[in-house]
Amino acid sequence: MKQSLVFMLALLSVSAIHAQKYFTKAGNIAFFSDTALEKIEAHNYKATSVIDLTSGQMEFAVLIKAFQFEKALMQEHFNENYMESDKFPKATFKGEIQNLSDINFKKDGDYTAKIKGKLTIHGVTKDIETTGTFNVKSGKISASSVFNVLVADYGIKIPTVVKDNVAKEVKIEVNIDYEELKG
Amino acid sequence: MKNILIIIGVLAVAGGIGAYMLYNKPHQNMEKAKAAFEMSAESLFSEYETDESAADAKYLDQIVQVQGQVKEVTKENGIVSVSLEAGGLMGGVNCELDELTKHARTDFQEGETVQFKCLCTGMLMDVVLVRCVEQQ
Repeated sequence: MKQSLVFMLALLSVSAIHAQKYFTKAGNIAFFSDTALEKIEAHNYKATSVIDLTSGQMEFAVLIKAFQFEKALMQEHFNENYMESDKFPKATFKGEIQNLSDINFKKDGDYTAKIKGKLTIHGVTKDIETTGTFNVKSGKISASSVFNVLVADYGIKIPTVVKDNVAKEVKIEVNIDYEELKG
Repeated sequence: MKNILIIIGVLAVAGGIGAYMLYNKPHQNMEKAKAAFEMSAESLFSEYETDESAADAKYLDQIVQVQGQVKEVTKENGIVSVSLEAGGLMGGVNCELDELTKHARTDFQEGETVQFKCLCTGMLMDVVLVRCVEQQ
């Protein structure tokens, strides 16, 4: 009897560890290029992300072709000329929360997370460090982050004709509402 | 001489109008667009699961008409997405309704069979289709 109780407890704790993963398939990633000549923005509402609250590891993936622009021509140039999205259909991020112990996912509040990892865009992988905010509210976890990316770092060539229209540094905004991964 | 100036002027204006129209050219009209492929959500998903890069080569940027059973409908940030059952444990076919089209309806019942014409953008956990319009 005692043994089975221990076994039950062990099983419960294992399932508790399992429940520490959260995910989404409907994350919002947007980017903004702002120059004196032109403001460009594009939105993607189909980013996936998984986060493991126990280890602090997190992953993001987004399909380049699912970014939508106001102007069709820009979307076309973005896909065909700059991002070559036929060749590189995805952008990904794999990283880790550096200050996991500062974040209490069980208690409501806003927590600043230091995040470090590898960002892959246009087939080029770079180490990045940024901060993000986790919001915990009645068991729901959401995350947001804003950071800048240098277009040239990822081997993206902007033709001279439009070099004043496209910013050298693009602002990326991430907004995610996570759901618990039950399994 | 005067004629040449007039011709240059006319060409410049025409060029300007052309450039302006190109700059502002509209997004593809999804209601009128013709589907390159017609298939079930299940077979699109299984093609992607079997060989993603082959499926990308075939379907990326193509207009695909898929048929399937509604698994889930989500409405967030004004974006309506319909997940179709495709036999996968975690994944399926996700159809994001077109923001530029006036839809006859944006409410769908779980389990009902629907048909969407969409643009294929590739696969993450789901095969992600955007700019979808419902087909009867």
